[in-house]
Amino acid sequence: MFKLVRRSIVANLGRLVLTLLSVVLGVSAVSGSFVLADSLRSVFDQISEDALAGTDAQVRPIPSEIADAFSSAAAPSFDESLTTELAALPEVARAEGQVAVFERIYTLDADGEIVRPPGPPVFANSFSGAEGVGGFRVVEGTAPGDQQVALDQAQATQGGFEIGDTIDVSMATGDIEQFELSGIIDFGDGGTGGAFFILMDLPTIQRATGTEGTINFVDLGAADDVSPEELVAAVSPSLPEGLEAVPQEVLIEESQENFGQIIDFIGYVLLGFALVILFVSIFIIYNTFAILVGQRTRMLGLLRSIGASASQIRGMVLIESVLIGLIASITGLFGGLGIAWLLKAAFNSFGNAFPDGPLQLQPRTIAIVFAVGLGVTVISALIPAFRAAKVAPLEAVRGGGLQQRSLTFRVLGGSLVLAVGLLLLFLGLSGQIESTANIFVALGFGAALIFIGVTMLSALFAGVVASVIGRPVQALKGTTGRLARDNASRNPQRTSATATALMIGLALITGVAVLASSIVDNFNDVLEDAFGADLIVGPTGQPLPFSATLVDELAALDEVDVISAYQFLQLGVDGEGVDARAWDSDTGTTIFNMGLAEGSLDLGSDGIAVLDETAAEMGLSVGDSLTVEFSDGELVELAIKGLYDNSAAVDGVSYLVDRELANQHVEGDAVGAIGVTLTGQPATDSPEFAAAEEAIEAAAASQPQVDVLSNAELREELSASINQLQALILLLLGLCVIIAAVGIVNTLSLSVLERTREIGLLRAVGTTRSQLRTTIRWEAVIVSLFGSILGVVMGVALGWAVVTAIPDEFLSYVSIPWAQIAIYLVAGGIVGVLAAIFPGYRAANLNVLDAIAYE
Amino acid sequence: MFASESGTGLASSGQYAARAEAAVKIYGSGDTAVHALRGVDVGFERGKFTAIMGPSGSGKSTLMHCMAGLDRLSGGETYIGDTAVSSLNDKQLTILRREGVGFIFQAYNLVPTLTARENITLPMDLGKGTADDAWVDEVIEAVGLADRATHRPNELSGGQQQRVAVARALASRPQIVFGDEPTGNLDSKTSAEILEFMGQAVEQLNQTIVMVTHDPRSASYADRVLFLADGKIVHELSNPTADLVYDTIRSLGDDD
Ligand SMILES: Nc1ncnc2c1ncn2[C@@H]1O[C@H](COP(=O)(O)OP(=O)(O)O)[C@@H](O)[C@H]1O
Ligand SMILES: [Mg+2]
Repeated sequence: MFKLVRRSIVANLGRLVLTLLSVVLGVSAVSGSFVLADSLRSVFDQISEDALAGTDAQVRPIPSEIADAFSSAAAPSFDESLTTELAALPEVARAEGQVAVFERIYTLDADGEIVRPPGPPVFANSFSGAEGVGGFRVVEGTAPGDQQVALDQAQATQGGFEIGDTIDVSMATGDIEQFELSGIIDFGDGGTGGAFFILMDLPTIQRATGTEGTINFVDLGAADDVSPEELVAAVSPSLPEGLEAVPQEVLIEESQENFGQIIDFIGYVLLGFALVILFVSIFIIYNTFAILVGQRTRMLGLLRSIGASASQIRGMVLIESVLIGLIASITGLFGGLGIAWLLKAAFNSFGNAFPDGPLQLQPRTIAIVFAVGLGVTVISALIPAFRAAKVAPLEAVRGGGLQQRSLTFRVLGGSLVLAVGLLLLFLGLSGQIESTANIFVALGFGAALIFIGVTMLSALFAGVVASVIGRPVQALKGTTGRLARDNASRNPQRTSATATALMIGLALITGVAVLASSIVDNFNDVLEDAFGADLIVGPTGQPLPFSATLVDELAALDEVDVISAYQFLQLGVDGEGVDARAWDSDTGTTIFNMGLAEGSLDLGSDGIAVLDETAAEMGLSVGDSLTVEFSDGELVELAIKGLYDNSAAVDGVSYLVDRELANQHVEGDAVGAIGVTLTGQPATDSPEFAAAEEAIEAAAASQPQVDVLSNAELREELSASINQLQALILLLLGLCVIIAAVGIVNTLSLSVLERTREIGLLRAVGTTRSQLRTTIRWEAVIVSLFGSILGVVMGVALGWAVVTAIPDEFLSYVSIPWAQIAIYLVAGGIVGVLAAIFPGYRAANLNVLDAIAYE
Repeated sequence: MFASESGTGLASSGQYAARAEAAVKIYGSGDTAVHALRGVDVGFERGKFTAIMGPSGSGKSTLMHCMAGLDRLSGGETYIGDTAVSSLNDKQLTILRREGVGFIFQAYNLVPTLTARENITLPMDLGKGTADDAWVDEVIEAVGLADRATHRPNELSGGQQQRVAVARALASRPQIVFGDEPTGNLDSKTSAEILEFMGQAVEQLNQTIVMVTHDPRSASYADRVLFLADGKIVHELSNPTADLVYDTIRSLGDDD
């Protein structure tokens, strides 16, 4: 029996290579996502250890529940005198007060533009030059002194800075000053995880952040024979309230956890795409095995008639799939290493994004890859294997294709699967499920079942639809078109199975497109009303805070009539950290259209406004009091003065307080955006408007992270960033389409093989090679269009379902991007054209007589 | 059987519809080379029905294939009308098969997705020109398929399928029709009907037909019988009867 399997694999090698390719791609994607995540984790774990190698313990403010690790709001600080007190302790060999800020200080290039990496953040840290403290090391030049900075190599290269150069630095205070580049630093073992670092000595960074006399934490080195734990124990009693001492081990763990969250996220996203790819390849494997079994009916019947048992036949097909699964797993394992390497290289091409380190192939990954590779192949081959076992001995004589399963089975089975899928999807979208992970599982399984159900049902109408799609082809191409149309519709089951991969790919792509276009259109509408301002002054892209000094500077301009700003803020409500905004509530309503639902939005120093929905959820109404915790740890009881129903202008947050109140509790002044109306209300296209815009731009030049935008420009920026995200997703889903194309090549090649004799006959009666290629090309186009149309229809339906499920205050209506969808359909047809090249070539080059004699 | 003789418009520039001159076909090379044709000289006169006989492996199919432009000779030359087949490239050969030659295989002659009528007009549909509908109707009528014209091959009996194949070979009014055991798979009654019909096509339409057969009775429908052995023409009979053919085969067989 095994010999037969081997023979069969060898004989079908060509067809199996393509099948293998689809499994290998899927398995590689899975293995790649694990390898990449593991490699990143190992590197960042190392970075965490390196960064803290010289820190035996750290004294810092007790982290508040409400503060986020990478918060844009200034980190809490305390008086620097503590450093000297700590240094006096006998257990302490070294105490260094440190300041660290996130996204508040930038270097500027020759054009005055901020030098920053495309994704990762920019940190500014104090650095005394002590080797190893904070993980920094001077690799060239010297540590920074007064009015000097040291930078990482990537930043220096990007900015075109050389040691000794004078560099403009935009400071957190809102001023730009000139600093000398004293040296190039490295982080840990090299590689900064893509982030940029700006290092200054402590007094300089305190001045640059406007936090003279205070520090964010103290790094401690233990005296000889003092363990970090003993150091912590020694230091703790002398700490003022609100501060804590933490040993090295805990610091490392925390740091690794912080990185780990980001890496896990990347890993999950990649894994998600990998699973989609794998899912698509299941259909391709299934289809190949089904066709192979079908083509071997006669041989199987013969085996049965000479005494092979049904289970032997079943085993034969299954062993074949196991072997393929094994080969695919091994290849996929290495393919995964390749994919991880490629992704790393791609990220790195954006500038040192990922530190160097070996790719991590963990036993867990190997186990998963084999489980997935084998599992997927064997499961896909199950149905064909059972069908093969049902081949009757007589089939050897009769020939003929496999018994098609009954229509009733298809209709009932397909409908059932579809119904369960719809139910799961509905559940996932209903908001009934608590955990995000479970929602994704419900949506994922729901979508998968829907695809399977539709595939089963689509065989019922594939013939008719393919024939309808083929009608214009026939009108256009005559006899060759006629043959293409017939071929595409003669085996509906095969047509539907072949088209499935493309259907799934296009359904996902279209779904994403519908979602993206709905977001853009809805947000456009909302943003159009969200601002009463003529101009919005703020950072575009990432929400980077900037100094409040700009607010005063702009307010002083004659061109500016009303001005209001809002500031980033984190509040603790019911013990949970929430995003909030602080604004100038006296002028705010002119600038930001918050949609006052009730009460008043003039908040004063004791008031708070709440999004009406949040208020309803929490059972709050105007006049109630609400106790909130500020990031300084203070609990303040505030009166709810108003409810608003439009949060678009303030990034969708649920709580608003006055800026004055916030500044009593929060250091620094991280402004998120400023809105102004112009004196004399000039029309947007008037010269006065342009002049005013210019004046404001000039004033804002001190804060390079800030742009001045009109409402329309703001909306354009938003559309652009969503479209960019969509393009990225499209790129990843594009892999699905490629696999779908491989599937079509595969089926078409098998069909050509199956029709060898017919092709020989066609050639014998005068079909030219190019006519034959045309026939096969159009057959592929018809099948592809069938898949594309089905996919687009499902994509629109899925997108519609998701958008509808999203609460109305985010997305209130569905917007369908018809033009994009038309492009996808054309692209689907082109996939067919491309997929037909190889099979068409094969068919056209068949020897006529051999083909006619083919069994 | 044919209502008119509208189908006789064959370009008749020469005496022969097809010829072979010193045709040699060798499969493989070296020790394993098979000499399928060892220098065959033959001409098929227009308007004549020729049968080719010979033991299996004697090169009958090879001769048909090479003459019909389905395969290439190793040496010598074949002509369809005045066209030297070896000088044609693949495209020209294809056009020749479409317009100049009709071919009937023993089985699997039809495209399963096309109806009987569509199969018959397929060679013409593949070309630029349009089929002469009246003539096609006449052919369909003549082969007795008028009520089966819209059926697909799997709805037709083996005999009916072969009739469609014959009709297709005739419908484009080629210079010559080759058949490689066209009735080999059929019972004697059906086979007689088809041979009858082929004979009529030769007589009434001045069609030229060459057919390979194993059956002396089938051969007796022809005007002439050629005997092939070991890649050479070894004997020839004119106006054969079944008995004559039978005896000839016996006597040729005794020579071995
Ligand atoms: N494609 C081929 N390759 C090798 N030998 C072949 C091929 N086709 C035919 N032959 C050989 O050529 C000889 C003549 O074959 P063929 O013309 O088919 O004989 P017939 O039709 O008279 O039975 C035989 O010996 C056969 O084995
Ligand atoms: Mg033969």
